[in-house]
Formats: sequence, structure tokens, C-alpha cells
Amino acid sequence: MGFWDKVSNIDRRWIYLMVAVATFFPMIVVMQFPVELTPEAVQLYEAIDNLPDSSVVMLTFDYYPSAMAETRPMSIAALRHMFSKDMKVVTVSNIPLGGPTIAEDVTRSIAKEYGKEYGVDYVNLGYRANYVAVMHGLATSIESIFKADFTGTPLKDLPLMQDVKNYNDIEFIFVVADNATIDYWISIVNAQYNIPVGGGVTAVVAPKMYAFVEAKQLTGLLGGMKGAAEYERLVKISGSATRGMASQSLVHFLIIFFVIIGNVAYFVTRKHEKGQK
Amino acid sequence: MRNTLPVIIAFLAGIAMVISFFFNPERTVLGTFQENLLQWVTIVGGFTLVLGVFSIVRVNARAVSRRSDGWFYKLATVISVFAMAIPSIMPTSANSAFGKVFYSIFPISWAGAFGTGPDSIYDWLFNYVDSPMMETMFATLAFYIASAAYRAFRARSAEATLLLITACLVMLWRVPIGEALLRGIDVRIPDYINMFVMNGFNLSVQRGIIIGAALGMASMSLRILLGIERTYMGKG
Repeated sequence: MGFWDKVSNIDRRWIYLMVAVATFFPMIVVMQFPVELTPEAVQLYEAIDNLPDSSVVMLTFDYYPSAMAETRPMSIAALRHMFSKDMKVVTVSNIPLGGPTIAEDVTRSIAKEYGKEYGVDYVNLGYRANYVAVMHGLATSIESIFKADFTGTPLKDLPLMQDVKNYNDIEFIFVVADNATIDYWISIVNAQYNIPVGGGVTAVVAPKMYAFVEAKQLTGLLGGMKGAAEYERLVKISGSATRGMASQSLVHFLIIFFVIIGNVAYFVTRKHEKGQK
Repeated sequence: MRNTLPVIIAFLAGIAMVISFFFNPERTVLGTFQENLLQWVTIVGGFTLVLGVFSIVRVNARAVSRRSDGWFYKLATVISVFAMAIPSIMPTSANSAFGKVFYSIFPISWAGAFGTGPDSIYDWLFNYVDSPMMETMFATLAFYIASAAYRAFRARSAEATLLLITACLVMLWRVPIGEALLRGIDVRIPDYINMFVMNGFNLSVQRGIIIGAALGMASMSLRILLGIERTYMGKG
């Protein structure tokens, strides 16, 4: 067996080991790379930044824990941006597992840093089943869908919710999602109720969203961990997405290296096999 | 009747939603009806979750009682369902009727451990068990993708070569070192990738898929409204 045959049939555990090393190395030896901004991320930042201070915004936590590496930094950066402008934040989730709990943990910890009070400056509505019905229902009355917040406190006992009755009282909806719920935020809430919607999504979902950005149905887009790192740069923080860029850079390079080596080995061995025939 | 009644209900509910779309919910009877219907949908959605829990417990409990293959994992599933569910539905104060009875038996200091709020049992299990497990499962994908890229991503045809080159360019563009490298070759390359690949080829193809899916959804909705599509009743 020649060299390229061996390369072609390399034990996959060596590949796994190299991926692990490429992931962990930048975590041990701290490396940081400058993050360039895309027009879509800048558009989203400016949409929020241009809102008047103390505006009411909705932030959605439509993601499962599995996608938290990409989406959680977006939520954190968005909350920092909103709280730094004294905005009132209403969080909601269309994901039963994870979303409401992540919203509760993330929002409370960031709010504490900015001295924000629950019920006055922010509210976590939690989750209700069937997101299409929920999105339509919020248009007429939030209280008709959410009688109480995530912890069971009736909405009538929360001062913020006395001023926020439906979409008409919300200036902007920042959707952070790892699934198709963002399609419905666009097609129902933006298209039918004319509320500006911005999106932060996983890298897998992002390509589909470019069509909505171009159609101006989505006001700005953050795609994957890179998008989160861009927003962190825009709000001038160095969060987990910015740190994660080093690992992601090395792993991307490694995968490209694998693709090249794999193809070279494929063509050399194929040529060799043809020569033998 | 068992076949006709669900079709009639589906037709009337669907038509009512379509018509009420054009009316103001605050001013018209149809609008109010739409609002009520949407509330019913969320309530029915809640019941489907309960049904799901009931189903998962029944299927797995049966497998455990029969000691079928992998029964130990099924037992872990059943225990996990109850470990997450029971503490989260326990009363967090003595204000409710159930709470009064519960805390007349157990100390009120237990209240903080129940519900779904911060520092509850549910919150702890979510943050330290459920969330890390789901993240781990998802993270292992990176290893499989790397292995698949090495073994299967071959330039076997012109189309595959085009896909391969585009994928490598986008992968480079999406990370800071790659973007710096591309800028080093020509400062306009990253902008060109965004403009021509993501906002060009990708956008046009995605738009075609979105419109195609929307047309499919519209025709499926019509089929359901007219009673042609009956798979929701468990029938072909």
C-alpha cells in the first residue's frame, strides 16, 4: 500500500484528535483575531441603536440548549445593547425545552449588571404551545395568550406589562433562533402586523435569511458564532463568541486542509488504479 | 359521521380564519372569533405536550416492565421525565389551595426548590444536566463533519467541484483568519463573496425554495380545507 493509499484510509480517530486539538489549543493558548463586520450585522445594530431610549423591544429565545454556543452570545450582546440604552425588554420563547429557562438565566444576570428591575425594566413571558397561534394572538392581546409570566406572576401585577398590551406597543423584535420560528416571525409578525424584525440565527439557518434581508422583511442578520462576534464588537464587549472565533478559525482551516488532502489522495490513487488496469 | 364531522370542523375553522384575517379583531365578531380560536389552539397545543409526556412514559415503562433490550436506558428516560416535571409543578408558595395543603405538611423553606425559577431543582437540572448533554451531542457533529469532509467531499464532477470551491471560500470568509487571508490576496474578495455568493447565488436559490414551499403549503391548506387531505385523522 502506497503513501496516498494510507492517507486515503487514515483511521478516523486521527481526524477526531486533530479536530479536538484545533478546538482546544486556542482555549489554552489565548488567541484573538480581529472580527470584520458584515453589512447585515451593522444594519441590525443600527436598527436597535436608532430606536429612542426607553423603547420597548421584544427579544426572543427561540433556541434549544444544543445551539447555545452560537445563539447565547447574541442574546447577551443584544441585552447589553438594549439595557445600555435603558430599553424595556420583553422576552418570549417558542421553544418548550430550554428557551424560557435560558431567557430567565441570561436576562436576570445581565439585568443585574445594569441595575434593572424585574417587572419594571424587563419581563420574561416564557413559553406557550403552538407558535403560529401565539404570534397571531400577541397582535391583539399579550394577556390573552400569557395570563402570567414564566414564574407564574400574573401580567396585571407587572408594571411594564400595563403599558405593553400588544405589538403596537413594541418598537422592534429581535429574534434569536436556531429553527424555523424566525420564518413565522417574518411572515406573520413583520408581513402582517408591520413590526420591524431583526434576526440572529445559527450558521445553518443564516443562508435562507438573506432572501428576507434583501426583501427588507428582516432588518439585519447575525449568522452563527461569527455574527455573534460581530455584534459583540459593535457593542464593544469581548464575549464568548469573540473568544470562540479562534477555535472556529482553526477548525475551518483544518476542514479545508482535510478536503484538499482527501481530494489529492483520491486523484492520485485513482490515477494509480487506472495505470494498473 | 366519524369521517365527515372532523372535515366539517376543519373546513369551518379554516374558512373562519381566512375570512377573519381581513377584519379588525377589536371591532368585529369575526375578529373576536379569530382571537378565541387562537387561544383554543394554544390550549390544545398544551394538551398535546401532556399527551407526549403520557406517551413517552407509557412506551418506556412498558419496555422496562418487560425487561426488553436497553431497558435500563428507558428507565433513565422515565426517571428523567419525572425528575424534571415533578419539582417544576410543585407549589412555590402557600398562596394557592394546593400550596396551603402542601406546606402544612412540608416546611415552607422547600418552596425555593420548586417551580421553574432561578435556583430551583428544575433550573439546576436544566443548567447542569440537560443543557451540557444537548450541547455535547451537538458538538460531536464537528468531528463527524471533519471526517465526512475528508472522506466524501470529492471533486468527482464539475458540479461537485464548484460546490467544493464555494464551500471552502465561504468557510474561509466566515472566520477572521480566513477573511484576513482573502483580503491579503485582494481586499475586495470578502465583499465579493458576500455580494455574489451569499446575496447572489444563495439568495436566488433560497428564494426559489421559499416560494416553492409557500405554494406547497397553500395547496396543502386547500386540500385540508376541502377534505381531500385527511392524514391528520390518521387516514390516507
